[in-house]
Amino acid sequence: MENEFLDGIVRAFVLLFTFDAELWNIILVSVRVSTTAIFIAILIGLPLGSYLGLKNFKGKKFLTNLLNTFMGFPPVVMGLIIFMLLSRSGPLGSLGLLYSTTAMILAQLLLAIPIIIGTTKAAIESGDPNIKETIISMGSTETQLCWELIKDSKRSIIAGILVAFGQAISEVGAVIIVGGNIRWNTRTFTTAIVLNTRMGEFGMAIALGVILIGITFILNYILTHIQTKRD
Amino acid sequence: MKFLTLQNIKKDFKLRDGSIQTILHDINLDIKEGECFTIIGPNGSGKSTLLRLIDLLEPCTEGKIFFKEKEILNLKKKEQIIIRRELCFVRQKPVVLNTSVYRNIAYGLKIRGLSKEEIDQKVNRIIDKIGLNGLKNKNARSLSGGEMQRVAIAMNFVLDSELYLLDEVSANLDPKNVILLESFINDLRKEKKTIIMSTHDRMEAIKYSDRIAVLNNGTITQIGSVNEVFTSPKDEYTALFIGYENIFKGIAKIDKVSELTKVKIDNIIINASIQAEGNVKICIHPESIGISKNIDSQTSYQNLIKGKIKKIRDLGNTCHIIVKCLSINFLVTITKLSMKNLDLKHESEVFIRFKATDIIIM
Repeated sequence: MENEFLDGIVRAFVLLFTFDAELWNIILVSVRVSTTAIFIAILIGLPLGSYLGLKNFKGKKFLTNLLNTFMGFPPVVMGLIIFMLLSRSGPLGSLGLLYSTTAMILAQLLLAIPIIIGTTKAAIESGDPNIKETIISMGSTETQLCWELIKDSKRSIIAGILVAFGQAISEVGAVIIVGGNIRWNTRTFTTAIVLNTRMGEFGMAIALGVILIGITFILNYILTHIQTKRD
Repeated sequence: MKFLTLQNIKKDFKLRDGSIQTILHDINLDIKEGECFTIIGPNGSGKSTLLRLIDLLEPCTEGKIFFKEKEILNLKKKEQIIIRRELCFVRQKPVVLNTSVYRNIAYGLKIRGLSKEEIDQKVNRIIDKIGLNGLKNKNARSLSGGEMQRVAIAMNFVLDSELYLLDEVSANLDPKNVILLESFINDLRKEKKTIIMSTHDRMEAIKYSDRIAVLNNGTITQIGSVNEVFTSPKDEYTALFIGYENIFKGIAKIDKVSELTKVKIDNIIINASIQAEGNVKICIHPESIGISKNIDSQTSYQNLIKGKIKKIRDLGNTCHIIVKCLSINFLVTITKLSMKNLDLKHESEVFIRFKATDIIIM
């Protein structure tokens, strides 16, 4: 086992630097699916989260509880739901999206949105009320207020995005159900690791694991740099 | 045109246990354009709430507010923002945004849609004034407490507003920044801007105010000129807050021969040792004024004025005596023993005297 571990690390570098076509395909699919999902999740989650954080309305408590539940939603169940929606006999079957990267993006997106909404909401709620009022009394519109508050709680919000991204790229249950782990097409790190482990190809599985960790590290590094940067 | 009118303003707050607390009762105010109107009152009297209502940060429970004869409560959100952009609300606790000094100060101008050149000119001018030139591109949150306060002050005063609401602004400032704030307020006074401020500081109230309102327990107990409020406080709080003062408006001129400042108040000339010229307010403590029945021989007192006793208020072992000299009333505090010895009575003719060095000029 120990040998296989070392062998895996060596293989990881060999595959990377010999520009192994299949490996690079897996890298591109994984990164593309997860970054697209997170990007869309940010576009939807930031405004919704800041709106929830700013406003008080009836049913906010219930909505918050619901949101918290979805933050811990089991990915496999999410995969199952999307599978049923997109399968040929399902309501969205005619779109023919099952076993495509679009379906995988959809699954990761739905898993990431509650996390981004939840952290944005919490960050904005815990902000200094003095700052909020100062911005309002300056004469800003609601959109300008939201944007300033998001910038103000940048650190906590980026932390939320990091969590969401980490979950998305390392997620396996949902993408294997809706993506189908098709070679050259919908195969990602996690699904490839599952496959290789089942086939006893531990070296390859470890190599993929090492690269996945490396990529996650680099992306985290970039986001952390933005997070701690003072302008 | 009426500038700002508050009609029957009432503000209730719902407490956690569901009960209702009334913070402001039936407030009626008429603020004139160009005046500095000060609201004094103890903590929790509703001063901040009143200013917040004017800035539309909170809805009124009852009543109406007219700004330049337009009803501003019940406006749509968009129209509220337009009104708010004509006001400038400087808050008790100065805060800055998580961005550079320059962008902090430019923020209000930017959302008001000024051109880049205009913003640049205004912001640079004020950064020069507050002495933060070298720190322009630094994040305001990384500055020291005092520097941050200066950014927060500049952020508000860079806006050219019609009405300035200053909510106990000097309470949390360090001494250097109080001076800076004073210079900003003095500029506003020179430009004849309308100011409504709330304060705890009696000297601040005396220095800037044209009129003062006393707010106690959510009710206005007294409104009047500085002189009226400070010489005849109507309630105990006001009396405690102001500690009784003789405050007069006059015109000062330096006399080159005596090197004293001659302050003309109606037809009375008062000699003061502090040098000043132009429109001033002078302040004399009632304890600094002496009374006698006849003109004594030479003393070191530079001010001697003839008057008549109009009122005697017994305060135990001391007395408050109101002496009317031509058109102005002086408040004098003396001991009961002196009153007895001098045989002072209502309508007695007396001389009051005080030193030129006892006069505070503002």
